[in-house]
Amino acid sequence: MEKTLKKEKFNSLITGLKDKGYKTIAPKKDNNLITLCEIQEADEIHFDHVQTNNSIKEYFLPKTEKILSYTIEKTKVSIEEPEGFAVKSVVFGSRPCDAASLPIMDKVFNWDCTDKFWIERREAITIVTIACDKCDSYCFCTSVGLAPDAKQGSDVLLTKISDDEYLVETETEKGEGLIKELETVFSEPPSGTPDRQVATVEKKFEIDKVKPWLDENFVHKIWAEFSTKCIGCGACTFVCPTCHCFDIVDECTMSKGDRVKNWDGCQFKMFTLHTSGHNPRSTQDQRWRQRIMHKFKYYVEKFDNILCVGCGRCSRVCPADMNISEMLEIISTDEGQPEPVSKE
Amino acid sequence: MNISDVTDEAPGVRTFRLNFQNEDEGKNFKFQAGQFALYSAFGYGESTFCIASSPTRKDYVECTFRQAGRVTNALSELNAGDTIGFRGPYGNVFPIEEWEGKNLVFVAGGIALPPLRSVIWNCLDLRDKYKNITIVYGAKTVADLVYKNELKEWTARDDVNLVTTVDPGGETPDWTGKVGFVPTVVEETAPDSKDTIAIVCGPPIMIKFTLPVLEKLGFKQDKVYTTLENRMKCGLGKCGRCNIGCTYICKEGPVFTAEEISKMPDEF
Repeated sequence: MEKTLKKEKFNSLITGLKDKGYKTIAPKKDNNLITLCEIQEADEIHFDHVQTNNSIKEYFLPKTEKILSYTIEKTKVSIEEPEGFAVKSVVFGSRPCDAASLPIMDKVFNWDCTDKFWIERREAITIVTIACDKCDSYCFCTSVGLAPDAKQGSDVLLTKISDDEYLVETETEKGEGLIKELETVFSEPPSGTPDRQVATVEKKFEIDKVKPWLDENFVHKIWAEFSTKCIGCGACTFVCPTCHCFDIVDECTMSKGDRVKNWDGCQFKMFTLHTSGHNPRSTQDQRWRQRIMHKFKYYVEKFDNILCVGCGRCSRVCPADMNISEMLEIISTDEGQPEPVSKE
Repeated sequence: MNISDVTDEAPGVRTFRLNFQNEDEGKNFKFQAGQFALYSAFGYGESTFCIASSPTRKDYVECTFRQAGRVTNALSELNAGDTIGFRGPYGNVFPIEEWEGKNLVFVAGGIALPPLRSVIWNCLDLRDKYKNITIVYGAKTVADLVYKNELKEWTARDDVNLVTTVDPGGETPDWTGKVGFVPTVVEETAPDSKDTIAIVCGPPIMIKFTLPVLEKLGFKQDKVYTTLENRMKCGLGKCGRCNIGCTYICKEGPVFTAEEISKMPDEF
């Protein structure tokens, strides 16, 4: 289904969503940070940005969430499972890279056992994506098989066709249902061919050359070279829309408590630390290697998808100015590749 | 689960016998040797231990653990009658049907006998499906040997060849078993590799020195099995913590052949 949406109709759209019982999440400017967060009014929305600071991930895999609660009375323990955690919502203004992360992550969360915390949120949230009309030097979606107007993961795709109008294309039944629910907000499709304003994102590396190199080079001095600056802060992991490793801990008093699932990351030293003191990844270069291998080799072998959408957040936020697309460029090109060390 | 029995196996090592609080859950519960579970000390967290009892013994589930960190210390404060949490079974299994008609050699060290105890009893309970069964088990000292009563049972049986050993310096004056590191004792015992499956579990150093001994004795890598462990949290392939290279230990393990391990990156 094709429609158009005028900027002047944003107010009616946000009010309409509220009336229909949706929570609305949109990019909002707060000082210099543009964050995807819950909004109440249309004038909070900010679309003149390249990328939000946070990714869409936290609305599907929260930073912290209760997975069960228990009460202890002498020797008896009773358990309660949480309910109502999947709130009917619309993300209005996701970027195509963020939206594409969702079907990629669906694979691990549906692998054999299904994760109801993920699945119920996926069902409850509708994704309205805004195609990118500009990009910056950190963006590399086109290097990982995506595009500034990619459709993967979106229920509705908006593309700017003039300063105050967007082309609206529904990509799924859910998206169609949303448009029909708020029919009066949308106008008829444009006549003729709309002038889609979509950024040109320069390809930085050949992705097809990355995995073959990783297959052969688990042992290579480049891992130490790449990660020399890394301080293991984990910022890259937290802002990444496809990083999904988590921790499970108990938090409690004497008689009751919660079992909680928290974001975690393979860049932290304690991530793989055994109680005995043994640590399979005791140095930062081993941890950095895990990050690259997981995203560009292991996930591909398991689920046939790269675990990266080229959003560039990891590089933008790194306090040590590490840049993942520069590293992938080095890996994928023959020129300037350091000699591999002899394999032990 | 209810803790119905507690056994102190060795300094800091304890076995819990567990029964389901919900009888229907207990009746419907099935597992196979090799699988593990996550046990909760509510308020402290979960720990991963293999299920140490055999699936042929249906009325209970057992686990054996060493006091080492926060959760295991909390578990060791519990007594018979207390409640612990249990979720499982997870992971893959020892392919004992494929081993039928063959000889079996079990090699274990210290606290690594518990992961093999399930499959040992499973095979002993189905004794006539297998030919010769040899168990080589060693620990640092006599006190560190676990399942001391069962070791006596296995010694008394004439259809099992049990060889026990302690590290040099770990023997007591009345010790009648061997003295020597497990890999050395395996070499001395020299089990015949023809039509034989070897199942090995132990601390990394023991495995490192035992595998070459088995190779020297003629065991091919796809006839040697082990069970790996790694730090785990979810146990079901979601949290991304337990992988060695591409392999998730909780989903595609913990049971592997030496051949499969030789293909894994050196990250464990």
